[in-house]
Amino acid sequence: MSESVKRSIWVYHLNTGGCNACDIEVLDALTPWFDAERFGVKLVPSPRQADVILLTGPVTIEALPKVVNAIEAMPRPRYIIALGSCGVGGGIWHDTYSTIGGVRELLKVLEARGVKVDGVYYVPGCPVRPESILYAVALFKGLVEKKVKSEVAYSE
Amino acid sequence: MPGVEEYVRLAQERGGKWVAHGDTVHLVVDPSDLRPIADKIFNEYGASFRTCVGTDERPLNNHFSITHLFTDDRSGLYIALKSYLDPENPVAPSIADVVPAADWCELEAWDMLGIRFEGRRLERLVLPYWWPEGVHPLRKEFDYKSRPDVSLARSERVALRKEVGTVPLGPYHPALHEPEYFELYVKGERVVDVRYRGFHVHRGIEKLAESRMNYQQVNFLAERICGICGFEHSTCYALAVEKAAGVDVPERAQFIRSIVLEVERLHSHLLLLGVAFHLLGYDAGFMHMWRVRERTMVLAEMLTGSRKTYGINLVGGVRRDINEEKKSKVLSELGGLVKDFKRVVEIAVSAPNVKRRLTGTGILPKEDARRLGVEGPVARASGIDKDARRDLPYAAYKYASFRVPVYTEGDNMARVLVRVEEVFESVSIIEQLLDKLPKGPIMAEKVEIPPGRVGVQVVEAPRGGDIHYVLTGDGRPYRWRVRAPTYANIPALKVMLRDQRLADAPITIASIDPCFSCTDRVVVVRDDGVVERLEVGASW
Repeated sequence: MSESVKRSIWVYHLNTGGCNACDIEVLDALTPWFDAERFGVKLVPSPRQADVILLTGPVTIEALPKVVNAIEAMPRPRYIIALGSCGVGGGIWHDTYSTIGGVRELLKVLEARGVKVDGVYYVPGCPVRPESILYAVALFKGLVEKKVKSEVAYSE
Repeated sequence: MPGVEEYVRLAQERGGKWVAHGDTVHLVVDPSDLRPIADKIFNEYGASFRTCVGTDERPLNNHFSITHLFTDDRSGLYIALKSYLDPENPVAPSIADVVPAADWCELEAWDMLGIRFEGRRLERLVLPYWWPEGVHPLRKEFDYKSRPDVSLARSERVALRKEVGTVPLGPYHPALHEPEYFELYVKGERVVDVRYRGFHVHRGIEKLAESRMNYQQVNFLAERICGICGFEHSTCYALAVEKAAGVDVPERAQFIRSIVLEVERLHSHLLLLGVAFHLLGYDAGFMHMWRVRERTMVLAEMLTGSRKTYGINLVGGVRRDINEEKKSKVLSELGGLVKDFKRVVEIAVSAPNVKRRLTGTGILPKEDARRLGVEGPVARASGIDKDARRDLPYAAYKYASFRVPVYTEGDNMARVLVRVEEVFESVSIIEQLLDKLPKGPIMAEKVEIPPGRVGVQVVEAPRGGDIHYVLTGDGRPYRWRVRAPTYANIPALKVMLRDQRLADAPITIASIDPCFSCTDRVVVVRDDGVVERLEVGASW
């Protein structure tokens, strides 16, 4: 949970080359049926105003420089919520020539460029359901408990 | 109306080979004959140009090949015009001057396979501009895993033009929910030119299918081409493979496919209508439309078990049946949807701000629409009466009767109204097909796919015709080519945006219902030479 972002969260939606399914579910979560706005979540048009980046897609090499720019433009503290199988680990494209393979690889690139990220939340699913996006937001605000109790080991 | 004989004669006259197989006519001609034959098929016979496919056939017969795919929508024929090219130095004549719709796919073949086209300017379309020279991902010797050094990745910077103002739109912009970049050149309030740089979503799908997947897995990969019209892609792939291998698919499976395809069309059209209202500043319409749309997500979940990426298609059939209980639930949900939708849309399209901003903006004249080969609602709003569901019937559409709405105005309003009418038609198609759903199995008993066969299939997606070309191989497709409708529609934006007010640009772009994730599996954009590239490499 984040101490520094206690009230309304302003999110910026960053599609790094995903198939749109997660992206329409993000929009869906903001429209009347799921109504994420009741948690104070607001979609903002620029990363400069954002508290959190909702990152979808496996980060294609064409989008990579622009993604880094967008994240760099965000004020500290920077939080990323990685949505969907692609955002979390590159999904089915994890090893193709034209993607870098999800947020974990992106973090390495960011680190190499000296861009600090204060926290990453992972929301798996192909595509993510609006309910799980709401759960991620609630988790971020400290309203619910994390479901995975221990650290997940990654095979490199 | 030209039939099989006319097309065959084109090849015979010039000493080419031909095979007519089912609804597809395969012509193999000398590269020097490509241009005159393509000219005749497109401009004289009036066939639609769908795409071209470059293939690295060196392991098979020591040649590259280029195949131009046409469909004759009046006689329901597919025409595949193929030429073999030199293995060392593959060169083909460009047909882009006689068939303007071939512009992008030639650039793509150059990028991905290194096939040169004579008589045109070649440039990067799909791959990033910093991609190493001479590396062509779809050549068979290229390993799908070999990544370039990403520390070289740089944004492209474009020189500003002095005489006009430049308004960059994207790649991350509040009006767009996908990464794509438009550069609008303006004089005062008027747009004078447009440049598009997309292909931010090129993920290497075709290469992946040709190197890591098997036939059945590609269905699920095809679904992930696009999160909105994914089922169209997987159906199109499955139908193409079934056509190539001659698999006999049970009727019931075809009915279920058609029903789910129409559910997907409903959700896609409602989505676009909502987004269009949002871009016009009419957010109440947007929110209500998405509220109504949620009913289609319930329908999809009921029928397939998933809100999106349904995963029910296989080569040879489907994985989930529709029982009587689901049938009645679907019908009652549809009833509620139609009632809700009617109420919302009647108010929304007659709201004065919506009406005024849609009417007379973003006009695409019929002749330009034909020349550029636009698809789907964009074509139908410009007076071109084409719909693959009726012209090239597939799955179970021949059992349903429906109307294809056509408008002649060609403006944003016409494109919105075509979609509104299609929503009602889709509901009626689902009801008819549920009523006629035949009994029987949902999966073919035997699925055997011999290598070396070709299947071409068009499926009418919500945005227009998808086309899939499959050349079967050993255990997986040897070559799989996908062309999504947005690929054909984007070049038309140049015509639609020119001399429009800048404020109307976002709604005009949205009116083609662009879907970049479909389009960008492949590559690039042309800029007519008006934009000079600056020294790049300076900024991230």
